[in-house]
Amino acid sequence: MSEEYNIPEGLLYTEEHEWARLESDGTVTVGVTDYAQKQLHDIVYVELPGVGDDAELMSVIGALESVKAVSDMNCPVGGSVTEVNEELLDSPEFINESPYGEGWIAKLKPSDWEGDKVHLMDAGAYGKHVAEAAH
Amino acid sequence: MKLMKTHIYAYHEGHGNIVDFGGWAMPVWYEGIIAEHHAVRNGVGIFDTSHMGRAMAKGPDVEKFVNWVVTNDVSRLEPTQGLYALFLRPNAGIVDDLITYNMGDDEFFIVYNAANRKKDFDWLKENSGGFDVELTDVSDVMAMIAVQGPGAVETLQKITEEDVSEVERFSIAKITISGLKCMAARTGYTGEDGFEVFVLDSPVEDPWKALKVWDALVEAGAVPCGLGARDSLRMEAGLNLYGSDIGETTNPLEARLRWAVKFKKEGGFIGIEALRKAREDGIKRSQVGIQMVGRGLPRAHYEILDGEGEKVLGEVTSGGFAPTLGYGIAIGYVPVEYRKVGTPVMIRIRKRLVEGKIVKSHPFYDDSVYGWKRVRT
Repeated sequence: MSEEYNIPEGLLYTEEHEWARLESDGTVTVGVTDYAQKQLHDIVYVELPGVGDDAELMSVIGALESVKAVSDMNCPVGGSVTEVNEELLDSPEFINESPYGEGWIAKLKPSDWEGDKVHLMDAGAYGKHVAEAAH
Repeated sequence: MKLMKTHIYAYHEGHGNIVDFGGWAMPVWYEGIIAEHHAVRNGVGIFDTSHMGRAMAKGPDVEKFVNWVVTNDVSRLEPTQGLYALFLRPNAGIVDDLITYNMGDDEFFIVYNAANRKKDFDWLKENSGGFDVELTDVSDVMAMIAVQGPGAVETLQKITEEDVSEVERFSIAKITISGLKCMAARTGYTGEDGFEVFVLDSPVEDPWKALKVWDALVEAGAVPCGLGARDSLRMEAGLNLYGSDIGETTNPLEARLRWAVKFKKEGGFIGIEALRKAREDGIKRSQVGIQMVGRGLPRAHYEILDGEGEKVLGEVTSGGFAPTLGYGIAIGYVPVEYRKVGTPVMIRIRKRLVEGKIVKSHPFYDDSVYGWKRVRT
């Protein structure tokens, strides 16, 4: 089946289908992409990092589980976790319904955003990556 | 490797999300695992199970032969009746689990797991020496569609002439669907009432009859379901998955399948001596059902620890989210002293230890609310 994937401009993406968005207060919000949630489908459980946890670029900070499968959540930015989306504990379906909105996973105070950024893709590059992955 | 395709593949290709399931191109879901799961628990769903193995055994010695190769006692079956049983190795390891039906006229029909198609048929052949019986692998010449859920009778009735409500549990009947010859067995792998429908004379190379029956069922209101829902449904019902929960290194006593073993039947069966010895020695470990109490989902191969989280007891063999129940459940093995219902355990989920407890698991759900027993009061 062919599917369309929502890939908003202005966000940065990883090959593993996570996204990162720099906020005006200097924090970075992270989550998983539309492609990731469609691959998992029916997310039933989310394991979140703890506030205060330190994450390195692409370290595992949590997990998403569908009925069938477990998928690691890699952190698209290094830094320390300042906030997690606890709503997801009771409503993991937010990730399916709104992966870039209500389905955000955590916010971090980045340690080297400018350095980490070069490892991430913009929407155009990520769109190509998804098109290849979908084949 | 090129994936094998069932009779219903043309439909899956157009509607489902196809995965490699042990070499078979099968749908894991169409619209979503959870929706399909609920459709079966509360209504009616259909599954393509044509990848499963099917053999016919025929001849004057057929009853003696089948009784020798399975653990249960087929001598008590009247024609059209079937039962669940196991094939065992001489060391009592499980070759496979199966359902066999007495078809009358010196013929038995045997249905077993997809992954074991070749292994089982070869094993049956190997053990047929000395019996006047002929074995035929009929897997590719008939399709198999499971119609499952409390609405199964009503739905199947819409497209058949025969009264399918008369078919007793674990019995098989000849029926006609859209003018096509089929058999319907009142069984399944979901815990619900329902049928396994065999579409006869439908070779996999020219599967129009199978597709016609599938389409008729969809039109009658059955929800197409993939292997994802099949797995979550069978787990909630506490039914074993061969290769995960049972296998060559588990014996039926450990797997709580003592009820499918008849030690006293005439002539015995392959593996009886080893199993008798296991019974006399006493088993060391037992299969159990586990309900998660803390947050987290158990998965196959996760460690099971004691309630203090100090001692590793065994591992999860199947686990995941139970959509009907709303929490995680698991099947696994622990030493017999830990198998009592209510015993606290811990499951190692990645880096954390999460609290669980041993629960009744045949089925995990309340069978006055869900499952085939509620239908047939």
